[in-house]
Amino acid sequence: MNLDKLQVNACLRSGWQAIDLGFLMARAWWRQIYIASLLPLLPLTLVLLLVFSQSPLWSLLFIWWLKPFWERLPLYIASRMLFDEEPGTWSNMKSLPLKDILPWLLWRRFSVQRAFDNPVTVLEELKGTARRERLRILHGRYTDVALGNQLVCFCFELLVAFGLVVMLDFFTPDTLGIRLYDSFGDLTLSGEWIFTLAGIAAITLVMPFHTMAGFALYLNRRIELEAWDIEISFRNLANRKQRATSHRAGMVSAIVFAGLMTLTMPAAVDAAVEHDHESSRQLIESVLQGQDFGEERTVRKWRFKGWSEADDETIPEWVIDFLEWLELFKDWAEVLSNIAAWVKVLLVLAFAGLLFYLFRRYRGPLSRLGRRQPEKTAPEVLFGLDVTPESLPPDVPARVMALWAEAGYREALSLLYRASLSRLIDKYELAFRASHTEAECAALVRAHGIDSLSEYFWQLTNAWRRLAYGHQLPESETIKGLCDGWTAELSDESQ
Amino acid sequence: MLDTRYRVEIPGGINLEAQVVGPVPRFFAFAIDLGIRGIIIFVLSLLSIPLGSGGMGGGFFLIFLFVIEWLYPVLFEVFSRGQTPGKKLLKISVIKDDLSPVTLGASMVRNLLRTVDFLPLFYLVGLVTMLSNQRFQRLGDLAAGTLVISVPESAKPAAMQEIMPLAPSTSLLRPEQTSIIEFLQRSNQLSEPRQQELASILEGITHEKGDNGVEQLRRIGAWFLGVR
Repeated sequence: MNLDKLQVNACLRSGWQAIDLGFLMARAWWRQIYIASLLPLLPLTLVLLLVFSQSPLWSLLFIWWLKPFWERLPLYIASRMLFDEEPGTWSNMKSLPLKDILPWLLWRRFSVQRAFDNPVTVLEELKGTARRERLRILHGRYTDVALGNQLVCFCFELLVAFGLVVMLDFFTPDTLGIRLYDSFGDLTLSGEWIFTLAGIAAITLVMPFHTMAGFALYLNRRIELEAWDIEISFRNLANRKQRATSHRAGMVSAIVFAGLMTLTMPAAVDAAVEHDHESSRQLIESVLQGQDFGEERTVRKWRFKGWSEADDETIPEWVIDFLEWLELFKDWAEVLSNIAAWVKVLLVLAFAGLLFYLFRRYRGPLSRLGRRQPEKTAPEVLFGLDVTPESLPPDVPARVMALWAEAGYREALSLLYRASLSRLIDKYELAFRASHTEAECAALVRAHGIDSLSEYFWQLTNAWRRLAYGHQLPESETIKGLCDGWTAELSDESQ
Repeated sequence: MLDTRYRVEIPGGINLEAQVVGPVPRFFAFAIDLGIRGIIIFVLSLLSIPLGSGGMGGGFFLIFLFVIEWLYPVLFEVFSRGQTPGKKLLKISVIKDDLSPVTLGASMVRNLLRTVDFLPLFYLVGLVTMLSNQRFQRLGDLAAGTLVISVPESAKPAAMQEIMPLAPSTSLLRPEQTSIIEFLQRSNQLSEPRQQELASILEGITHEKGDNGVEQLRRIGAWFLGVR
């Protein structure tokens, strides 16, 4: 077993994926597998058909029963193909189909995971207790997948067999007089022959896929248990390291050699690979000519043929249709004389009215439906100042003046400033955010569009900034003016 | 190299990979969907009895039958990540062959062509076309440019044992790192001699033999897993 030559990608797969891999294996090696299965099967089939020529269904039964016997050679061949080896000697193959065959043809014929267990007998050549022990380790969680494989492949056999019969029935003319059933509903002899041949064809066609799927399951389990993928990867790694070491040794000797050369013939060094302007351009152009850059591709697609030839002179078809439709309304009066029609009209009108009412009623919510709701989350704290309305005294200017008189200058101006911010949020719904600076707040007020308000707020902001950050006390008159301004612009009575 | 892997290179040189799914799991998925459709149709036929067997009831029943037979796979594939209930149970899904989600048009085409795949009896054409190309595409898949892939399961982090990490003495490529991590995580499934055999391949890196080599490799694996 030489893992370097493994023909499938060794990696951990689920059971179902292993079965898919088995189908791919059967696809890839179909020629060898079919030859190996037909070699014992063909003579056997001919003999059986001759013996049971009057009731050929019996030969179908025998061939089906003997499946474990002629499934073995394909499996053996596939195991050689897997490692890219020669099929091996004839004597080795000759003994293969008969190895431990009796249990396989008797009680193990009904095993639901035959394809999965087969490699243990055929390839590992285990019997008795050793075989049982080995299978116990291998089965693991794959028993249900192996059962699924068996089940589906049996269905595929039925499907191919009956499909072939039905296809034959489709394509043979009635005049040929081939009938599958006689007038009592029993199979005729020709019917039996057709079913037998279709059945043998189905068994032969499906067998490689079934066997290979089981083999792939077995393989997957061994990859898992023996970590083939890790071994392959480790070997590659070891090889790479070894190559790198020898490459480095080679480099060193080359450099030493080049050094010696330089000492003896200094002129030779100048002949190194160096491109001048012209030759490098040629090189670039030749690279650009290459397939990687200059690929031409022909794309074919469907296009409406008569598109440009449309004749503008004629009246379009739909206009004529529409006019014809209007013609239908000529005898309106006649229709309306019918009471049922009146009821219908009333119902339609009522429905239209209902729709109109509903539209009127929910116009507001509907029109707001698609729009983004503005963010209502006003901040509670701006630059460390509490701006909730609850934190303010009832008469702000009076409190400010009182604080100022008590020489609480900072408290006084900060109260006025945060009262202004609070009012701006409440009354004018300005979208201040906690991340805004004082100047940005002032800019937002200006953007709101009331000139006197923005002028006032700008003065207030400046006064506050000077005091808070610059420690410059404003004049008492300025504070008085700001308080008056507050009453005019921001108190409840203003505007 | 035989593999069920399907690879697409997208602009930017990134490779997308998926595992294609063959006839056996798809057969089971189809059988489950067939059962579900059968139950729905049975219930509908019971419901349509009170409406009268001749006119109304029969009409409704036939319309529903049509919708379910033709649109059941399409609706599930388009609105449920390419998975009908049967496919969901088998953890497989339909996808376009550039590995983008399946579109309405593609799903429509692949499911309308079921009629052809069904010929001459129960999907024989579908089975043959599926086995005639490497990606297991049936005729409908080939026409619509879709394929069936297995939905990758998110890997569960393995339980980490107490293990002293060890920095490797040499630089390793990513797949090599992965294989050493795999060695650590799967070592409880491997027999002792097999572990030693594997570790002996990397003697040039661990500079240890036998059990010590195994221990060294496991410690390097823990290092690659980010244990410090």
